Amino acid sequence: MARPPLEGIRVTDFTWAWAGPYCTLQMAHLGAEVIRIESQKRPCVTRLIPPLADDIPGPNRAGYFNQYNQGKKSLLLDLARPEGVEIAKKLVAKSDIVVQNFSAGAIDRMGLGYETLKQIKPDLIMISICGYGQTGPERQYMGYGPASVPLAGISSLTGYRGLEPAEVGISYGDPNAGVFGAFAAMAALVYRHRTGKGVHVDLALWEALLVLMPEGLMDYAMNKTQPERDGNRDRWMAPHGGFKCKGDDDKWVTIVCGTDAEWQALCQAIGKPELAADKRFANVTARKANEDTLEGILTSWTKEHDRWEVTELLQKVGVAAFPSMSNKDLATDPHLATRGYLVQKEHPEVGKRIHAGIPWHLSGTPCEVRHAAPLRGQHTDYVLGNILGFSEAEVLKLRGDQVLY
Amino acid sequence: MAEQLLSGLKVVECGNLVSAPYLGKLLADFGAEVVKVEEPEGDLARKRGPFPGDTPHAEKSGLFLYLNANKFGVTLNLRNPKGHALLQSLCSQADILLHNYHPKNMASLGLDFERLHRTNSGLIMTTISYFGCTGPYRDYNAYELTGTNAGGWAFISPGASDYPELPPLKAFGRQADFQGGVHAAVATLAAYYHKCLTGEGQHVDVSVQECIAAILEMNFMHYSYAGRETSRLGRRSIFPWCMLECQDGKIFLINVEEDQWQRLVELIGNPEWAALEIFKDRVTRGQNYDALFPLLQEWAANWKVMDLYKAGQERRICFAPVNTMADLFASAHLQAREFFTQISHQMAGTLTYPGAPIKVPEVGWAIRRPAPLLGQHNAEVYGRLGLSQAEIEDLRKQQVI
Repeated sequence: MARPPLEGIRVTDFTWAWAGPYCTLQMAHLGAEVIRIESQKRPCVTRLIPPLADDIPGPNRAGYFNQYNQGKKSLLLDLARPEGVEIAKKLVAKSDIVVQNFSAGAIDRMGLGYETLKQIKPDLIMISICGYGQTGPERQYMGYGPASVPLAGISSLTGYRGLEPAEVGISYGDPNAGVFGAFAAMAALVYRHRTGKGVHVDLALWEALLVLMPEGLMDYAMNKTQPERDGNRDRWMAPHGGFKCKGDDDKWVTIVCGTDAEWQALCQAIGKPELAADKRFANVTARKANEDTLEGILTSWTKEHDRWEVTELLQKVGVAAFPSMSNKDLATDPHLATRGYLVQKEHPEVGKRIHAGIPWHLSGTPCEVRHAAPLRGQHTDYVLGNILGFSEAEVLKLRGDQVLY
Repeated sequence: MAEQLLSGLKVVECGNLVSAPYLGKLLADFGAEVVKVEEPEGDLARKRGPFPGDTPHAEKSGLFLYLNANKFGVTLNLRNPKGHALLQSLCSQADILLHNYHPKNMASLGLDFERLHRTNSGLIMTTISYFGCTGPYRDYNAYELTGTNAGGWAFISPGASDYPELPPLKAFGRQADFQGGVHAAVATLAAYYHKCLTGEGQHVDVSVQECIAAILEMNFMHYSYAGRETSRLGRRSIFPWCMLECQDGKIFLINVEEDQWQRLVELIGNPEWAALEIFKDRVTRGQNYDALFPLLQEWAANWKVMDLYKAGQERRICFAPVNTMADLFASAHLQAREFFTQISHQMAGTLTYPGAPIKVPEVGWAIRRPAPLLGQHNAEVYGRLGLSQAEIEDLRKQQVI
């Protein structure tokens, strides 16, 4: 029976909001046992904000939490109580990896810093994620995900031509830090296997975004300048954009021609062979010089057609056309369904809902989402009893004392 | 050479542009030995800028230089059966083969997992593609713009847009490709960890569309939990959440919790309007954006960006400068953390590059060599496979390398 690659690896998950939970989600996807520590005293923001299943409030009904905590376990534990900290330490002693995304230094003040935990678990792998990193003059600054995008310079480069700097629709710094944290943890597991040693990783949202912007930063390094905001256009390809489709609805199709041959094929496919011979569009230099005209001509054609009709017609001749997909388009997409990407596990409070699943297939060690996101505190008895060996009476007392709270 | 997290891993990369090369870079920067295989005309990134003086040159592309530092470079004709044999020899000694060729062309380019796996049962082959190696869209052509739209990101970007007539907006650069690369790094190393335990290799199939659909914040769930189709249009549900114009540039402001708003009001000097009923909580402020935004803008216009950033953050209010590239290179915080790094390259000279994505004491990220010239390590790498100089010269004449 094939097992997922991280079967047998245990993760103590102190994370909250999005960056940290996205990090440990990757580990759950890969088969690790991820134990998310939560407290009713300080509920995770993702349990509170919409969308709530059928718009009915409740901590177990939030789509945001239920998406990014699939396949994890939940332990209710108050870390403001010394008894809570002691239980967390016992769990760390039986874990391979710890992940946390409190602000810099906070975990040390809670008595659960790396130096402390290393005494308990000498080969511990610990991933610390925060906005600015654990060192540096601005380390205490607040680094919410939406702020990481302008901070990293992405906004100054992103936006429609001639208009203001733009955001990018998501708190991009968060999931990006999360996936980099998972990369670091995997590299650390490999290192631990080879040497028997653990590591502490310092991950800043800011820096993890900067490494994804070489076209901007290297332009400055070479030329002391930066690219102007230019919407969806590309310096080296045309056409390269989103085009409005038939009807009044907000439906768009993207079309990219990466080569002259693709452009020629497009002209034939849309029934305008005269464009293929038009000198204004003969090669990429000409098409870039006449891009406004080119986009106008294409728009007048796409406006007469459905986005899927455009996609099929152009893909048939090898041209990269595809709709701009909405959440509804994704959840109902036959391709994603065929690949097993859309996950619907039974959840005791919200039933079966479609979630985004695992973006990789491993042929030898298949991964699957094992169960829906946990109810708050769902696995408290399991963790205390089965992993840590507390008796039922002890658990009852800790619950009564609101340590398991 | 100093020990790093991934010291000892042997990797072959057949990568073009960003996704697979970035995966190769992550492995190389943390210690793996990566041999980058380019077709004789070179990685397409060599033809993409930025270039010094905006003048294209195959050895001076900022994108290529950045993505391929730390790698050994060889040329190999993957459209030639002798090239396939050579690729097979390279892979027979490797742990991992990475590529981002289109799945429909894999077999004809010699990237045939079953065949390569027969000669090296421990080989992991990672394929990054826009739609994955299976499914109805497998054969579709796609570019980064396609990927960011196919995954649903562009449709919700920029967010709170005032321009319904303008299309969904991609984020700058090649973010969808990068996300494919980083997610693939997680899956690839997990597969390698399994190899460490069992000796077994496997095929890793990563879909860029699926990586992007996984990072849509709560948007994916708006449909399945509440039946709502979300888009780039509409207003922020909470406020303040905006960019403001200062004397010398723009600053970003977001208040998530009420105590942050209270501290902002104090910083502004407790103006009378702050007590208005229409601004009483984050939701009513969101509903009354049109009234509140001009008041905040009027106040911010008297500040310099860095002064307001510091004054705000010292009061635990989340401001962030809307940084330009020049601002980033000048950041005291990034300098204190030694983020940027200098690399000398024999053709492009010494330049300042973005550095480590994560910091790991002693065994972390390091630059050991600049990006390779096209075919720079042919003799060394093919020599290690046991080919004589004459044989290598012969392969060159036959246009295999």
